[in-house]
Amino acid sequence: MDGMIERRTLLATGAAALVVPLAPASAQQAPPPVITAAAANSPNGGVGQVTAFLRIAPDGRVTFASPVTEMGQGTHTSHAMIVADELDVPLAQVTVVAGQPEPALRLQPVNEMYSGASFGIRFWHDRIRRACAQARGALVQAAAERLGVAADTLSTAEGRVTHAASNRSVPYAELVEAASRLPLAETPRIKPAAERRVTGRAAPRMDIPAKTNGSAIYGHDIRLPNMAYAVARLSPVFGAELDGFDRASISAIRGIIDVVALKNGVAVVAENSWAAMEGAKRITIRFKPTPEQNLDSAELSRRLRAGLEGGPATRPRNDGDVDAALSGAARVVEATYEVPFLAHAPMETENATVHIQGDKVEVWASTQHQDWCARDAARVAGVPRENVVIHTPMTGGGFGRRLHTEVVEQATTVAKAINRPVKLIWTREDEFAQSYWRPAFAAKLRAAVDAEGKVTGLAIRAAGQSVMGDYRPALFAGPLRGNDPFALQSIADTRRYDFGAFRAEWHRVEAAPKVWLWRSVGGSQMCFFLESFLDEVAAATRKDPYALRRELLAKDARALRVLDTAAQRGGWQSAPPAGRHRGIAFVDLYDSLVAQVAEVSVTGNEVRVHKVSVVIDCGDVVNPDSVEAQMQGSVIWGLSSMALEGVTLKDGAAEQRNFDTYPILRIGSAPAVDVTIIRSGERTGGVGEPGVPPVAPAVCNAIFAATGRRVRSLPLASQGLNV
Amino acid sequence: MIDLMVNGQARRVDADPDMPLLWALRDMLGLTGTKYGCGIAQCGACTVHVDGAPTRSCQTRIGDLAGRRITTIEGLHPEGQHPLQQAWVAAQVPQCGFCQSGQIMSAAALLAENRRPSDADIDAAMAGNICRCGTYPRIRAAIHDAAAKA
Repeated sequence: MDGMIERRTLLATGAAALVVPLAPASAQQAPPPVITAAAANSPNGGVGQVTAFLRIAPDGRVTFASPVTEMGQGTHTSHAMIVADELDVPLAQVTVVAGQPEPALRLQPVNEMYSGASFGIRFWHDRIRRACAQARGALVQAAAERLGVAADTLSTAEGRVTHAASNRSVPYAELVEAASRLPLAETPRIKPAAERRVTGRAAPRMDIPAKTNGSAIYGHDIRLPNMAYAVARLSPVFGAELDGFDRASISAIRGIIDVVALKNGVAVVAENSWAAMEGAKRITIRFKPTPEQNLDSAELSRRLRAGLEGGPATRPRNDGDVDAALSGAARVVEATYEVPFLAHAPMETENATVHIQGDKVEVWASTQHQDWCARDAARVAGVPRENVVIHTPMTGGGFGRRLHTEVVEQATTVAKAINRPVKLIWTREDEFAQSYWRPAFAAKLRAAVDAEGKVTGLAIRAAGQSVMGDYRPALFAGPLRGNDPFALQSIADTRRYDFGAFRAEWHRVEAAPKVWLWRSVGGSQMCFFLESFLDEVAAATRKDPYALRRELLAKDARALRVLDTAAQRGGWQSAPPAGRHRGIAFVDLYDSLVAQVAEVSVTGNEVRVHKVSVVIDCGDVVNPDSVEAQMQGSVIWGLSSMALEGVTLKDGAAEQRNFDTYPILRIGSAPAVDVTIIRSGERTGGVGEPGVPPVAPAVCNAIFAATGRRVRSLPLASQGLNV
Repeated sequence: MIDLMVNGQARRVDADPDMPLLWALRDMLGLTGTKYGCGIAQCGACTVHVDGAPTRSCQTRIGDLAGRRITTIEGLHPEGQHPLQQAWVAAQVPQCGFCQSGQIMSAAALLAENRRPSDADIDAAMAGNICRCGTYPRIRAAIHDAAAKA
């Protein structure tokens, strides 16, 4: 599980192993490029040179240090498949370990190792292939020299180089040493799609057996000799700092070691988790007042609605003359929507284990951001950043939540204070209260329709807090100059629909709660707004919702194919079973196109989602079974959030602190999910997130088809509808 | 000192009788396959068997377990090859996997009582186990698969 040790081993034994850093040395040593607004102004872009590390040991085993955290999305297995495919070794001989934050594994231009934006395959696929192609080329060259034949008379398969003409073959293991002394080709021959034997076919995930027998080790499961157990008690109000606590209030609990002050709470340290948790629950604690300690949902909603009517706004899209289209329209369709804060609620709560030894620090963290873990641990421990080793164990759900590393800062504070290794975990209650939520948002949409019922213009004005403002405040305030590419994501950054004139603007709302990247980020609310509204336009113009989308996508063959395939799979052109109704929605997110048809019945206030047909065009596919699993999971994630979830505020704090008040969809409400993957050969797109956004509008559109009732605020539960 | 019978072995822990079984298993016996998810018996990640019945270990005092048979995911089958564990691998059920010990333990208790559960039986027996990754369709398929092979 220890990528750092693997790495050091491979470097230390470099003479006996082929180690391939896959970018030119000059590029690796170059200083990180300066972030430019142009590069960073897209959630899809802002990346540059990266390399990966590949090791072929003398016994033929291949180890790849992955830059991506395995959160259950199957990326480690997909990376192994790419390695096996391009290197021509059996998949079973490939091991993937979690990498360390170091230059080769960092995303540019931010120069950080992290997992987000559905990058696992779409960004890394080509880079890993190039690394493996270089390694294969060196092995072939070494075999050519050994056998005294030309390299182009050799072939590779199953971890061997073969000279067919003389019926001779050499295993890679015997070539590694010679190959390790050869230069690596700058432009290696990379297999074209037709030659790929491993990728593109379903392979079982390497991490699954351990997840069925209790042996998989997550951050919660780390145990070190002499380790203390700590549990945090944090302010439920964002921004409220610790004022004081009474240690004596928990002195009766057996096993308490210490109470350590944190910025916004305390960590109760004990000899076991339970004592620490009881202490955290029972300790008398006071927080300082904050200006927003009376904030409630009604006030937040007022700020959102006010932001729709006026105030400054960024306007990333203003194509054509929308005002003229609206004023000259035969008819204007208008609607306003609103969605609440959402929590990530990963099954594993925030945690980190920290061991400080002299000027060295080891951190075990279920994290999506290894570099920020190292940064925070180094700062608190007062050691150079290169003295911090980051271990990434299995991760009990990410969804964007684990791009945040406050818990590492806290655990390092505790380890330093008590001079012992410590595991700090958050309670579920603090996990909800301090989750850094998907922002609450409101939007007003207007469409201009001409006398023939054709859409001639569309305007959207959205209001909500800035994810980028909390996620990367320096980037947001500096190079981005207050523009947040997440705010209108999936609307302002794509050009699939042709509305004629089009305007998209966003007004930033300020409020104390922190907001964050939540699976599909801005797409999670923007797709709901737009795709619900298109259904309203269809109803107003007496058009079929699918036919209206076909009109608007008429110039985009790729998008039409996705939409048409979803309509076919969902049976759009045939009558649904008695009592059932259908809704359709589409999204373009992270280079993938997704369309969904939801089949729903409504009885009184009871909504039943029977089936969702999902079509994704993600360009190329590495492990189709993982794509299917992500689509199934995305549909259930999306349905859970739109039907049940929402954080409401009272007295500045979340009213929901556990699964009793923040329900998650359970098995009995899970629909059948039919997944179709289109391999268009277009640029590889993301898979972890694009399946989420269409669920909410597809289901709401089906509810409209069933009842004539238009749902403009989520979740359904807040509108008296039960799933 | 509290005496517990865990996975067929007599174990002794030096802990307060009020300590929930979850933390005794994880911190004192090193059986970390049983997970903390909510602490209020809402998520099912801590599910174990007590005398064969699915039980939320976060709400079960160790002081109440004298003479009771406790089975955790580690003890469900000596080689981790319970039909459900095999079906879970065959159907590629887990994503993050954090909830899956609890899912499997709930499913095992169901199959022990009902060898051919219907969809409605599965919905009822598995209603207490949340999966945030949304693996429910595969959980259902794997339970049916294990039942068919049993």
